[in-house]
Amino acid sequence: MNFWVDALSTGVVLGTPLAFAALGELIAERAGVINLGVEGMMLVGAVVGFAVGIHTGSIFLAMCAGALAGSALALVHAAMTIGLRVNQIVMGLTLTVLGTGLSSYIGADYGNEPFKHHLSAIDVPLLSKIPWLGEILFQQDILVYVAIVTVLVAGLIINRTRQGLSLRGVGEAPAAADAAGIPVFAVRYVAVWLGGLLAGLGGAYLSVVYTRSWSNELTAGRGWIAIALVIFASWRPLLVLPGALLFGFIEALNFQLQAKNVSIPSQYLSMMPYVFTLVVLAIVWTRQRSRNWGMPQALGTPYEREGRS
Amino acid sequence: MRGWRLERRIDQPLASRILVPVLAIVAGLLFGAVVLAIGGHSVTEAYEAMWESSFGTGPGLEQTLIRATPLLLTGLAVGVALRMNIWNIGAEGQMAMGAIGATFVAFHLSGLSALPLLVLMFLGGAIAAGIWALVAAIPRALIGLNEIITTLFLNYIALLFLSALINGPWKDPSVVGFAYSKPLPAQSELPFIGDTKVTIGVFIALAAAAVIWWLLDRTRAGFSLQIAGGNVRAAQYLKIGIARRILFVLLISGALAGIAGVIQLGTASGRLQDGLTANYGYIGILVAFLARTRIPLTVVVALLYAALLTGGTALQSTGIPSSIAQIVQAAIIIFVLAGQVLGSYRLVRPLRGSAQPPPSEPAVAGGAR
Repeated sequence: MNFWVDALSTGVVLGTPLAFAALGELIAERAGVINLGVEGMMLVGAVVGFAVGIHTGSIFLAMCAGALAGSALALVHAAMTIGLRVNQIVMGLTLTVLGTGLSSYIGADYGNEPFKHHLSAIDVPLLSKIPWLGEILFQQDILVYVAIVTVLVAGLIINRTRQGLSLRGVGEAPAAADAAGIPVFAVRYVAVWLGGLLAGLGGAYLSVVYTRSWSNELTAGRGWIAIALVIFASWRPLLVLPGALLFGFIEALNFQLQAKNVSIPSQYLSMMPYVFTLVVLAIVWTRQRSRNWGMPQALGTPYEREGRS
Repeated sequence: MRGWRLERRIDQPLASRILVPVLAIVAGLLFGAVVLAIGGHSVTEAYEAMWESSFGTGPGLEQTLIRATPLLLTGLAVGVALRMNIWNIGAEGQMAMGAIGATFVAFHLSGLSALPLLVLMFLGGAIAAGIWALVAAIPRALIGLNEIITTLFLNYIALLFLSALINGPWKDPSVVGFAYSKPLPAQSELPFIGDTKVTIGVFIALAAAAVIWWLLDRTRAGFSLQIAGGNVRAAQYLKIGIARRILFVLLISGALAGIAGVIQLGTASGRLQDGLTANYGYIGILVAFLARTRIPLTVVVALLYAALLTGGTALQSTGIPSSIAQIVQAAIIIFVLAGQVLGSYRLVRPLRGSAQPPPSEPAVAGGAR
């Protein structure tokens, strides 16, 4: 039993940066903008957060700096794809190249410096006493709770408020949203910016809290997993939490199995969420096309007002 | 300045089509120079090293050609599908499947001599990768399942599968610490051209480019792809089967990426290993888009991009962070993309005497322009 509790509890930690980044990507995609630059934004967030952490010693400032750095990169994507209507896929891939390069460049001097400060775990009163579940979910660092609350709040906003309706409208039918007086371009800018903010935060969590050190390409593909996670969660914010936990748990399980020298090819385990998603996608699509799976109808399409000059 | 406005050009003049990328490259290099200067590095030293290691010297040029080869193939792979408005994000995974297919052939037919073995390896790689692309193509053709999602997901699966093979059944137990496959038979290595380090892979890539160019730009089938991708109604009117063409185009696309994987296998290592695909599949998307799927341009863009990749690795020995090469790559692409958009507009001068363009021109001045 201890084995599984350990794996799940580590899975929650590893799922936290994924939850941040995936939620960010989800917000941008719900507004109709796909950003394949998550990996780049996470990396820049990770290195800037780490550098600020080293110089100030403050984890709070490090997180803020990482988030802002990620959002700055996202603004490049927004300006290019919303403003200039450049292809979103091409621009996102370019953003990943840019973020990877910038982060390695900035991080060249930080490779050998460990971050000394530690984010201690906080036991949630009462809840942390629940057997197993308490240890897994309620004896974590504060940012894990922040991630959970952020996702819940975002889910509430997207599903239940006027602002959320605007966001969804812009992603589903931008022309109709425009006619209804919703500022399509502004909503998309804000959504993409928020996406970068959260990706940067996820990256900073990795370098400042999890590894507490910097090395090139530290995120190791987690930005790409976050993109997959959005599809896995079928663009529903609340499903980001179980999704992030699953992906984080599989990663944790791989570590644990390696440590125990169990020779199960862990790659097949890692493959499962992708295979599962593809199969479910195919089934759902056969029955109802994209609509019920939740993919925003205007995803990837730049909005252009007729006769805009 | 009131009354000036941007107007979309119907057709972009040739001069601006050439000028935009040239200016973008200059601007990208300038941006890199600023970043280098901020970091306190010598701009001239960095760019000199990058030039000499990519185009300036014989060995440098060889390295550029070695990297341009898979890049040209993945650029073609993505470009073929893009002609039909199909986004193949999966060239990375298809490359991996190509390398896996070729490795399978090499292990099981290791008794063959070089030529038949190599031919069969290329065939095996192309077929494996083509089938892998069909996994995305079939649901796209039958139920319209978005190919961007499926090809992206198939990348993760293919790369994990490769990793599982070299950690499992194909693992070389004598190598500790790294996951490598057992070495491939010696005769499966691609022959070099003369006494250079460039393999005949570069000819295979160029031949593929020629065939694809002929197919897309010189045959009725190639033209019908463009119609099928651009205008569904026109395609239906002309009785162009869209589903069949989606399958065809992704099969070709996957096979091309697979060939890139086989060449990487035969060039880089002589073993199947992680990192073999080296992001060439993703960069191929950029190459194809920047070349606007024009085949001759794809060759040029692949070569230039390869030079930037080569220049980056050469910096490692100078103490200047090699990441500057990635920054320059991204900056150039961003300037090209922005330039393409801005170049498709022109500034229209207001008519003299009126701050705003008149609501409607009289027929005399209007009609003939």
